[in-house]
Amino acid sequence: MMLEENIELIDGKPLAYLKDLKALALSDLHLGYEGMMSKEGVLIPPVNLKRIIEMVSEAMAGRDVKSLIIDGDIKNEFSTVEQAEFNELYDLIMFARSKKLDMILIKGNHDNFVERYKEPFKLKVYRQEARMGRYLFFHGEEMPSAVERGVEFMIMGHEHPAVGIYDSIGKQEKLKCFLYGKYKRRRLLILPAANFFAGGTAVNIEPKENLLAPIFERVDVDKMHAIVLGYGSTIDFGTVKELRKAAVPK
Amino acid sequence: MIEYLSKPFSDEESLSSLNPYVRKWFEDSFSELTPPQKFTFKLIGEGKNVLVTAPTGSGKTISGFLSIISKLFDKSLAGDLEDKIYCIYVSPLRALNNDIYRNLTKPLEDIYGRIIKEKGAGIIKGNMKKVTIGVRTGDTTQQERRKQLLKAPNILVTTPESLAIIINSRKFMENMDKLEYIIVDEIHELANNKRGVHLSLTLERLTELIHRKPVRIGLGATLYPIEEAAKFLVGVENGKPRDCKVVDASWSKKLDVVSKSPVKDLIYTDSDEIEDALYKELDKAIKKYKTTLIFTNTRSGTERVVFNLKKRFNYGEDIAAHHSSLSRESRMEVEDMLKKGALKCAVTSTSLELGVDIGTIEDVIQLGSPKSVTRAIQRIGRAGHSFKEVAKGEIISMDRDDVVECTVMLDAAMKRHLDSFSVPENALDVLAQHIVGMSLNRKWNVDDAYAVVKGAYPYATLEKTDFMALINYLAGNYVSLESRRVYGKIWYDEKDGMFGRRGKMAQVIYMLNLGTIPDEVAINVLTTSKKWVGNIEEEFLTKLKPGDIFTLGGRLYRFEYARSMKCYVTEAKTSAPTIPPWFSEQLPLSYELAIEIGKFRAEFSSILKRGKSSAIISKISEMPRPAYEFLSKLPMDDNAKVATYNYFMEQILFAKAVPTNKLILVEKTHDPDTDKQYIIFHSLFGRRVNDTFSRAIAISLGERYDTDIGIMVNDNGFLMTSSEEVNISLKALGEAIEGVIKSDITNELKLNIRRTEMMRRRFRHVAARSFMILRNYKGWKISVGKQQINSQLLLKAVEEVDPNFPVLKETYREILNDVMDLPRTVQLLKKMEKGEVKYKMIDTDVPSPFSHKTLTFGHADVIMMKSKRMYLQKLHASVLERLGMPVKKIAKQKGKDKGTRPRKPPKTNRKRR
Repeated sequence: MMLEENIELIDGKPLAYLKDLKALALSDLHLGYEGMMSKEGVLIPPVNLKRIIEMVSEAMAGRDVKSLIIDGDIKNEFSTVEQAEFNELYDLIMFARSKKLDMILIKGNHDNFVERYKEPFKLKVYRQEARMGRYLFFHGEEMPSAVERGVEFMIMGHEHPAVGIYDSIGKQEKLKCFLYGKYKRRRLLILPAANFFAGGTAVNIEPKENLLAPIFERVDVDKMHAIVLGYGSTIDFGTVKELRKAAVPK
Repeated sequence: MIEYLSKPFSDEESLSSLNPYVRKWFEDSFSELTPPQKFTFKLIGEGKNVLVTAPTGSGKTISGFLSIISKLFDKSLAGDLEDKIYCIYVSPLRALNNDIYRNLTKPLEDIYGRIIKEKGAGIIKGNMKKVTIGVRTGDTTQQERRKQLLKAPNILVTTPESLAIIINSRKFMENMDKLEYIIVDEIHELANNKRGVHLSLTLERLTELIHRKPVRIGLGATLYPIEEAAKFLVGVENGKPRDCKVVDASWSKKLDVVSKSPVKDLIYTDSDEIEDALYKELDKAIKKYKTTLIFTNTRSGTERVVFNLKKRFNYGEDIAAHHSSLSRESRMEVEDMLKKGALKCAVTSTSLELGVDIGTIEDVIQLGSPKSVTRAIQRIGRAGHSFKEVAKGEIISMDRDDVVECTVMLDAAMKRHLDSFSVPENALDVLAQHIVGMSLNRKWNVDDAYAVVKGAYPYATLEKTDFMALINYLAGNYVSLESRRVYGKIWYDEKDGMFGRRGKMAQVIYMLNLGTIPDEVAINVLTTSKKWVGNIEEEFLTKLKPGDIFTLGGRLYRFEYARSMKCYVTEAKTSAPTIPPWFSEQLPLSYELAIEIGKFRAEFSSILKRGKSSAIISKISEMPRPAYEFLSKLPMDDNAKVATYNYFMEQILFAKAVPTNKLILVEKTHDPDTDKQYIIFHSLFGRRVNDTFSRAIAISLGERYDTDIGIMVNDNGFLMTSSEEVNISLKALGEAIEGVIKSDITNELKLNIRRTEMMRRRFRHVAARSFMILRNYKGWKISVGKQQINSQLLLKAVEEVDPNFPVLKETYREILNDVMDLPRTVQLLKKMEKGEVKYKMIDTDVPSPFSHKTLTFGHADVIMMKSKRMYLQKLHASVLERLGMPVKKIAKQKGKDKGTRPRKPPKTNRKRR
């Protein structure tokens, strides 16, 4: 669906297409997750990266895309770079290269050590935030240092937003969503996690104080719109406040 | 060939097959041969594979072991006995293993003593060796294991899991090269589940590893079809089952059984009165007989009965509870006291059904239906210790459906009509473990390995493609090359068709994660001073508030607080619990018994329809002759007869139709109390078929109305509800049924199952068994909670990789075939298509009598027992009203403070989910 003339939330995918930047924005990939689980004895086959590559490739069809903006948490492990992460990061970089995409990385809380990639792979790496035209990208673990003039749009990740909905026989289903609202007269877009396994935080069920990002100390999540993706489409479900009602099992 | 033997050998034939010292010992110790022994001494002596089913107290252990002991003493006397294992005894019960050890140690000593005495010490010195026996289970200490390695016992007593570990221990296997006998005990506990499937593969692998074929001896309680059990025991060679002699001595014990109702009228009699009558009946039996064993089906029922007996009749320590939630020590104490005859009465859920010797029981009382003929026989067979005694048992039912069910069940038991079991076929998760195990033994050609696997009866029909899918899965071929180091469990060379060990971790993974019993969440209950008192289910814990009082092990505890997987309590001083008992572990009604009940319904209702009388009776003398004569052929008391007669009469008068084994009654009705619409399928084909069938109907109906249909399944049928806006017409219902008859329900069901909680839990079990979630890895133990979360992610990923992934495929198989009963449901639908089973739709303004029990289940989660009873009475009154019959006044509850004084419902298996 179109958020505005230059911003498209791609149907059924956790991707935002920013036409004026010729960029796809996505967040919270948590590459290497399966590898980490398998080290603990849970042998989850790797599917996350494959799915992300598929989604990006599909989104590129018919759209002019020159860069991939990753709004934090490209990888999973905090303290080090694991073998599995290294492999998957490398594969993603090679994929971007094959598609002639610039990779722009805003560092998140899981992204220690990615600087090491900066030189050999010629990545653009920013710490926590990056200004690009009228957009301010930040991961969301910290508040952006200063919001400069000219910033119209703030885009963050980190929170893994989703909504929980009960069906008629009382079973809960969780669907990923974008959150869309306002912060200091700028528009605020929160990206869902691109990670295949991340179910997300059901923002219409969790008490507000359980949300992670400090921005929710200043922005009332209830006033934001949940733009839900699933089953191949992306639809505005209305405000989180409204959706809290749907969170009660029938 | 599987061959039945019915003619026993003569005593002389049997005894002369034994070593003279062994024979002498036997003749001095026992006055005669028991029925199984009259077959086995000779057969095993001749080295034949034998399966023997026999009741408790028929000298089963000696029947299996004596010929073997005899041969071992032959060797010893000849100086040929080495420190090797000649005989393996496997039993699924650890407690039984210790029993066997104790019970055999003495005979071995005795016989040895005799030989020494008679032959004089002289010749013994150098070479007359003792026949030794050793136990190896998960409880065996490291020190003991080392000893066994250095000096192997001649008879090794073990469990299926320990045996599976042993065959991957190179050192231990060096002691196996003389193995001649394998005894599998409690075969009825193994042949119908994955634990047994696991063992069947272990036996094939063992046989292959030692390059010889030991004699296989199976022992067990009665089961049907016994040929299946025999095939399970001996396995398959060249596409045919190996030879096995089958001896069914399970009928040597006579049964004296009766189905009872505590009162004539189970509907309107005040529930306190029923309860009083029940406990008086129990008290009478306990006083009359030396030892009484009471089965209650559920642990909560066990607690309740012990509590009530103690309170009402001032029993003390001479009554005890025995169930699986109690600590091992408490259970063993109860068993010991039973053996010594120190208890007047033991109350148990299922844990005393089989296995360990519990001495002489004079009377067995079953409260509520045990749901299967086989189980009824096994339980009642606990009475009368020796095979010559009569097993005396009674079943007391607390509602009219149970009265009918238990009567038919006991009749079938006397006629020896058992319900059947089935062996799980081609379980891929269990096989995955063994392929890893095999790869650790040596390098394999896939065809050779496949042939070994197919020797196990549960895998006789395994497709090569499924086998190869497992090989590929285990080789990690679903992940990229560089990840296989972690994901791969075996090494596989596609070009040569060879597989083998991969890395050092595989051995450790195999040893630590082997087995088929899933981790379940059990909450430990401890006193605040950290003393462990028992287990409760997680679900029960969620119901507890601090201050609540509940019973556990016949004692009262006050709930204080909970921390993670532990629940802390203090001993309560008050006299009554405040919290309803646990959710029951209600057993499902078997298919065969359901069919028998259906036949009974058909016969009895046709007798009633032919008769002139249409009255509801109040005492037995009013019953018309033909009906009385018919019922009097069955093992039931007069109260039960009156209750049954009235139950059927009301149904005939009201609905003009009685559902049978050939007729499914589909009743559209409405509840006068709540004004809700219900559709009730009176379908009597066992709960597992009902579970499957009801889902298929609900899917079909749901599609037609584009709505979700709620289903509530029980043994006598199932009930469907829809949201209020939707009014399901009989026409649409008919179309939905026809639709199901014609559709391919397998795929529809799979889609439906995918969304269920059951799928989530079962997938976790299968993934753990397939070594995809390692419960034990690199010194970490993954908690059940974490396993559950991880398995959800795994499920998502596996579906993404391949919808036919072996782990996924097995989960569906397990649910559709082992939990539900897809094969029999498909069979039923075929019969419906051909018109062999018909259905009839009726529209009633109030629910017909036969639907009342199903309807009260519909309320199971919402209302408490007392109000459930009131509800039942209301339903019944509305039927009588419409029949123009006098409605009895609904019994008022006695006592003033009902609201605060909780009282246990009399019947144990009422509360179902």
